[in-house]
Amino acid sequence: MHQINSNYRDDSGQKVQELLFKLDGLSFTYPDGKTALREISLAIRRGDRIALVGKNGSGKSTLVRHLNGILPLQSGSLHYQGKALTPGILAAMRLNIGILFQDPDNHLFCNSLYEDVAFGPMNKGLNRDQVDQLVKSCLDDVGLLHLMYKPAHQLSYGQKKRAALAAILAMQPEVLILDEPTANLDPKQEQIFKKLLSAFQGTLIIIDHDLLFLYDICDRAVVLAEGRIHHDYSFQELVSQQHALREHGLDFTFRFSCCGKDHHHLSASSHHHHHPTHDHGTNDSHATAADKTTPILELQHFSYQYPDKTAGIIDVNLIVRPGEAIALVGENGAGKSTLAACLLGLHRGEGFFFSRGRQLDQGLRRSLWKQIGMVFQNSADQLFCPSCWEEVAFGPQQMGLSTNEVELRVAEALHNVRLTGYEKRVPLNMSGGERKRLAIAAALSMQPEVLILDEPTASLDPQSQELLLDILNHLAMTRILITHDMFFIRELSRRTLVMHQSRIICDYPTSSFLADTHLQGINGLDYTYKNHCLEQIMDLQDQNRG
Amino acid sequence: MDRSGTIIHVSSTFAAGLLFLAIFLSGLSIVLLVRKWHREPDRGAAPDWSIPTIDAYADTPSFFHNWDPAVKIGSLFPYCFLVVSLKSLFWCAVALIVSLLALFFSNIPWQRGLRRLTAMSGFLLMFLLIVPFTSPAKPGETLILLPMLDSLPFHLNGFYLALTIVIKAFAIALMMEPMLGTSSLPITLQGLVRLGVPSAIIQMILLTHRYIFVFQQEIIRMYRSMRVRGFTARTDFTTMKTMGNFFGMLFISSFDRTQKVYEAMLCRGYQGSFPTFSLPQTRREDLAKGGLWIMIGILLLVFDRTLPVLAP
Amino acid sequence: MHISDGVLPTTISLATYALTLAGTALSLKFVRPEELPKIAVVTSAFFVASLIHLPLGPTSVHLLLPGIVGALLGPAAFLSIFIGLFLQSLLFQFGGLTALGANALMMGVPALVCGLLFQLIRGSSLLSNTIAGALAGGLGTFFSASLLAGFLFTSGENFLGVAKLALAAHIPVIIIETAISAFTISFIYRVKPELLMWKQR
Repeated sequence: MHQINSNYRDDSGQKVQELLFKLDGLSFTYPDGKTALREISLAIRRGDRIALVGKNGSGKSTLVRHLNGILPLQSGSLHYQGKALTPGILAAMRLNIGILFQDPDNHLFCNSLYEDVAFGPMNKGLNRDQVDQLVKSCLDDVGLLHLMYKPAHQLSYGQKKRAALAAILAMQPEVLILDEPTANLDPKQEQIFKKLLSAFQGTLIIIDHDLLFLYDICDRAVVLAEGRIHHDYSFQELVSQQHALREHGLDFTFRFSCCGKDHHHLSASSHHHHHPTHDHGTNDSHATAADKTTPILELQHFSYQYPDKTAGIIDVNLIVRPGEAIALVGENGAGKSTLAACLLGLHRGEGFFFSRGRQLDQGLRRSLWKQIGMVFQNSADQLFCPSCWEEVAFGPQQMGLSTNEVELRVAEALHNVRLTGYEKRVPLNMSGGERKRLAIAAALSMQPEVLILDEPTASLDPQSQELLLDILNHLAMTRILITHDMFFIRELSRRTLVMHQSRIICDYPTSSFLADTHLQGINGLDYTYKNHCLEQIMDLQDQNRG
Repeated sequence: MDRSGTIIHVSSTFAAGLLFLAIFLSGLSIVLLVRKWHREPDRGAAPDWSIPTIDAYADTPSFFHNWDPAVKIGSLFPYCFLVVSLKSLFWCAVALIVSLLALFFSNIPWQRGLRRLTAMSGFLLMFLLIVPFTSPAKPGETLILLPMLDSLPFHLNGFYLALTIVIKAFAIALMMEPMLGTSSLPITLQGLVRLGVPSAIIQMILLTHRYIFVFQQEIIRMYRSMRVRGFTARTDFTTMKTMGNFFGMLFISSFDRTQKVYEAMLCRGYQGSFPTFSLPQTRREDLAKGGLWIMIGILLLVFDRTLPVLAP
Repeated sequence: MHISDGVLPTTISLATYALTLAGTALSLKFVRPEELPKIAVVTSAFFVASLIHLPLGPTSVHLLLPGIVGALLGPAAFLSIFIGLFLQSLLFQFGGLTALGANALMMGVPALVCGLLFQLIRGSSLLSNTIAGALAGGLGTFFSASLLAGFLFTSGENFLGVAKLALAAHIPVIIIETAISAFTISFIYRVKPELLMWKQR
């Protein structure tokens, strides 16, 4: 336990604001016996901009659920503007406190965006014109005015996330609480969030692992560990103390990467095919193949269109050779996941598809799953067995392997992801990081030639990310990594494919990608801002050491 | 048993012709199906779990769109019951024509009507195929004896009965789009509240409707990750076990989601009811339209009972 | 299998509607108001589950799930089924609007019965829960099929043949439903047993 410097503002002698929340000795235990909060004492003043950080499972979400009375008070006290939370106060208070949870689908419970955004203001008792004005201005702020009457299920993930934020902002809350607002968003959408949050005038509490995102927004940091407050100081102090970050699994400085100045842009139109299937009229569009080994997978002029006529991928040329480590980047909706689904044989597109030199036919397409392993973005969608052992054994059993072989493979896969001893555990009750590793083990046990990982690091705390990095680094097989995370691209890939509007626009060595400053103009993949923040933080840490 | 009615013996050549025609038609439909199957790019990727949007055409003006939903449902729903009460083939056919006209004037694409008809076709086909052969004999009825099926006479009466059922079902199914697809779903359901349906039920229907799409996405993602690990649905033990797990997972995640949705609702000031603004007042013409439709229904019923044509 | 419009005589249509409305009102009384949005969301999951078709030889069948709905929701099951069927008829024309009452009774009554049965016999071991789940699932479908045949039969002696065929067609569904329910309940028992106790939820 460290000394809590709770009145850091009083020291400077300015900006002492009215007390909004006063928590004293707050503890909370879930019905299943898990203690989530122990003796929390915290004062939150009007205008505070707090980053609430800590490892996965340290009690951040539980704490936030107390601040608007969703979870009942078990022991200790909680006062809002000096008053205890009686049912009467609770109703009025909730209208002043906006909370944005992680899954936007939970916020959008009406059948059109308009109704969703209007729900809060209408509960406040505003009249029809006021509500109408608010809804329109809020939807305009998040750039969704043109989709006002659409139902939520017709929106993309990023749009839903923005719509949920609009629904909260429309209540004009004085306190805004966000639980991992930027998980799974591309840098462009992240920028929209950052702009809106920076402009927000009231009190702000943000839970996030991404300290670089929080850097310009927050000025106070509260660090939770095992249900206790371990630090409560200025944000600058938090990021400048590397040992404290490390202790709380927040040390993101392992991910230092910086943009260079050189850049080398490959022409997307020049490509080569390993297997001669057709001739181009022009001489230069088929570059000579540098490598003569047979590729594991090859796509030539491959396109896929969704049944509703939206383009999935257009004219993709791609060669995957044994042992390659490839990163696939691009904005949300650029076609990355669609490309992965095509490689897995889930979508049947048009064009040439070779697997180990053989052109894909119906039979080969059906057996692609044995060759290519896939770890999807959301672990919840891919774990469907009542125990870890069954989960990892599912694939090998479907392959028709012998019982002994299945046993061996399960043991090996669990060992590889450091989950030995978890055989009997229930996947659903494990932590986010453990579930992600289990999902990887479930793919590894099939010993695929290629492993595709879709956003493996999303909403993992930095410590879990570091472990994942180590595991992935030790895998021998060919890897395709879909991510927005510059650090993982740098550490885990030698080659980078950039997708934009359904096409692969760049295919070059990762070092060239890292040096490429033109991308921002093309698809808003602005990774340089974070590098800038990171440099400032490293400076602070250096000063602190000196 | 009195069998004084007409008995028609179908000659073998005629029966053979019928049989040939039936084989030809089913062959043709199989060929068409296979071609459709081949043209569809994604047949093997995921089963078709698409869910139609009921109010996709709610903003093209028409007779039905400009009708106060409370009065619209309040008159078309009883009208459906009047159609159900029809007994003779002729007047059922008239009801079907009324429905076709309604669909036409509601500016809703006919494919949507057709989709509803195909959804029921399996159940109704069973009636068409079984009822004519299993109806009890009645005095004075026409029987058709097919060659080689001497013990199973084809009752013309039973056939008419099955046909009236099919036509009535079609007539009502086609009324669904004009009745429920011509206002946005929340407005339609608000109309039901004004007709006395408890608003608690209506809110539940709206919520259920919204989350159907969320869970549809969820099962598509879950099914996809089962497929990439080699799962194919068959009629065997492994499939049962895996699908059992799949359903268990779906229900558990739905219970988790209920809690989270409820919390999100509380956070935006939910206190037990959804706020709504009142709808525009019912106009006189709304009532006139309602009266017109009830009149049509009553007239159909009266004609059906006084002038039965082809009644089984 | 759901009854479509036009099959049942108006008297039976109206009578079943009246019974269904009474049942729904009663179900509504049993449920605390704050539970209603939650039941609505779970209903969506049941709705989606009933869209899934399982292969059965050359054809495929979809599940009716009355047993599992009853086991998981208890008295609220009737309400949930009514809403689910209303939406099915609205969106797909599976079951007609005028036959909604009969269809809701056909699914809702077995759900209530099997839910109660499940609570009575489920005991506290994995095996007994699995067996109770299998029984609830199988019997639920059996009762539904019997009610369907019963409704058809009371609608006129012309429908005797159809009623028999409908009953026979449900035999494979009953078998599949028994197996799937057993696995589903055993999965839930192992992963989140508190969902099977609707009194404490």
